[in-house]
Amino acid sequence: MTILLRIEALSVQADGKTLLEPLSLNLAAGECLTILGETGAGKSLLMHAIMGTLPPPLTASGRILLGDTDLASLERSARERLWGQQLAMLPQEPWHSLDPLMPALQQVAEVHECVHGQAPEQAQQTATQALTGVGLEAAAARLPGQLSGGMAQRLAFCAATAAGAPILLADEPTKGLDASRRDQVATLLRQHAQQGALLTITHDVEVARQLGGTLLVMRAGHLLESGDAQAILAAPQHDYTRALIAADPRHWPAPLVAAVTGAPASEPVLEARGLRLKRGGRQLFEGLDLRIEPGEILGIAGDSGCGKSSLGDLLLGLLPADAGVVTRRPGVAAHRYLKLYQDPPAAFAAGVPLRRLFDDVLRLHRLDPAKLPPLLERLRLRPELLARPATEVSGGELQRLAIARALLLDPLLLFADEPVSRLDPITAREVTELLVQSARERGCALLLVSHDAEALARACDRHIRLG
Amino acid sequence: MPRLFASLSTSQRVGAGLLALLVLFAVLEGLLGRTDPALQNLAQRFATPSLAEPLGTDPFGRSMLARMGAALRLSLSLSLVCVLTSALIGVALGIAAGWRQGWVDRALSFVLNVVLALPGLVLILLVAGLAPGSLLALYVAISLVLWVEYFRVVRAITRQAVASQPMQASRMLGFGWRYCLRRHVWPALVGPVATLAAFGAAGSIMALAALGFVAVGLRPPTAELGLMMVELFPYYSDAPWVLAQPVLAVFLLVLGLNLLAGKRA
Repeated sequence: MTILLRIEALSVQADGKTLLEPLSLNLAAGECLTILGETGAGKSLLMHAIMGTLPPPLTASGRILLGDTDLASLERSARERLWGQQLAMLPQEPWHSLDPLMPALQQVAEVHECVHGQAPEQAQQTATQALTGVGLEAAAARLPGQLSGGMAQRLAFCAATAAGAPILLADEPTKGLDASRRDQVATLLRQHAQQGALLTITHDVEVARQLGGTLLVMRAGHLLESGDAQAILAAPQHDYTRALIAADPRHWPAPLVAAVTGAPASEPVLEARGLRLKRGGRQLFEGLDLRIEPGEILGIAGDSGCGKSSLGDLLLGLLPADAGVVTRRPGVAAHRYLKLYQDPPAAFAAGVPLRRLFDDVLRLHRLDPAKLPPLLERLRLRPELLARPATEVSGGELQRLAIARALLLDPLLLFADEPVSRLDPITAREVTELLVQSARERGCALLLVSHDAEALARACDRHIRLG
Repeated sequence: MPRLFASLSTSQRVGAGLLALLVLFAVLEGLLGRTDPALQNLAQRFATPSLAEPLGTDPFGRSMLARMGAALRLSLSLSLVCVLTSALIGVALGIAAGWRQGWVDRALSFVLNVVLALPGLVLILLVAGLAPGSLLALYVAISLVLWVEYFRVVRAITRQAVASQPMQASRMLGFGWRYCLRRHVWPALVGPVATLAAFGAAGSIMALAALGFVAVGLRPPTAELGLMMVELFPYYSDAPWVLAQPVLAVFLLVLGLNLLAGKRA
């Protein structure tokens, strides 16, 4: 077995603080190496250190040996020459790495044209073959904005590997994809590993299981355990690994929170008929009827870009529908239909202590300030957090604060737009559980949007699929 | 106030310091000076700086100290009034256009394009030409040109803030437009508007001096920086230190304001 990439005591520092503790690993030909860990574990730093794309205050030390050359000692321009030909990187959000104004086929063809010096027609042909290989032949003429999340990721994969780099670094390649698309991408990556080598970063235990090979579990910049993927996942040694595995939606109890039985049937909180929505020339849905009962937990599944969020906005009246009507229960104040955002800071005005924002809400609706402390306690939030502005609170806490603020208004319907997709898996499970519990306790209907059908199946009473 | 000062970069502090010195000079001279800036004393032509006349005298024997003080007071107060007026108009209309969009936006943007069709200084010259020597006309003309910048910037920022998720969240929670303006739009506007105000003040000082220099602005014997430059220009070889004074004053004023407006490091 030839070692393609050898990393010796690679660490990353910023301003005298070590963000990634010295790490050594070998990547052999045909090997799959997976790094599992939550956001902020230093996984992406490792990848950027290997590529040589660490942003300025960060510096790497240690050796990165590609064959006999130490990449760390090379000039930036010399390292850039290796990109695509020796090392390729599949970045997190495919939309950010694709040219939004170029058709899918051309994005791959131009690599063959510019890197391998093929004639335009020949490059088009090679690219068509590559797209056919990943099942994208029908989408060759589409722009990235017209592709679904899974398709965009497969296109990014084609473009990243077109130059023929044996070593592929994949940074959260399945983020935002539903189970079936995630499996497709994992299969693609595994196939690539057979011809070269693969280093994947993920927080998805299932992806780690499917890729197999060697697994490294990391947390807060240091390595917790490493070894054969199947062995570690079957018998984790470290508590953190166990918690991570338990946080995978596939291991959630079903149902996550028991339903309250005997809820009296009454008027629905919201009813939609014949909804149709077109976005960017693409029909997202048509003739959609929906009835949300009080206290119901309804899931909406589908991968990125399929119109889940738009459907929610449409139901809340934040977006006009192309056709169809949405009716709320008559005689109910508008502020009892609320939304939770994917990005927790999006719900709060920046630069103001959170307490002031909560006070604003209490004052506006003449609510009893005594309602807040028990609510915070229920959501396991320390009251001291309120003294800070939104930017200085962690994502998980901020999302729970957003839930607390919404619950203050005693909502009839809460639309939660991927409320946990930006959180690490352990926090994600906790927040989902608390959200569903609180909704159940208050008889508030919850519209939960997620790309993860497994999570929805366990958290919701019923769920619908879009796209 | 100390917190505001602490948030400034070094170059901004230098700018603020320069301006503070100039303002201090103008105010102190106004309070303590006993000489009339228009009082002639032909026996004292081009007196070199002395204890009695720290800045010397001009070809008519008028005290340069008194004249510089009066000219600085005029430039500073005119620029202050112009900036306040234009900022008020520009910010108010910008918020209206960015928030309401639709026909309000189209109508205001039409007016904006009409004003932008003429170079700023030409428009000022035009208005100043209609009423020569009138300070009021200058004030109206400069404000008319300056509000455009505020309008454009404020409109764009307001559009962004109104479409932002934090503001959407506030609207859903039941907050009205006043709250959203205060919490979401205003905090986004303050920084850019302050920067524009500093540039606007520099612009109005330059405009006033330029008009004085081409003799369509204020009339003699008013002590005005541009006018003083053109009056003293023929004597540049006899009394360079006298000519240097208004030139240096304009330079320092504009430098101070531009440093103050500069990007935070």
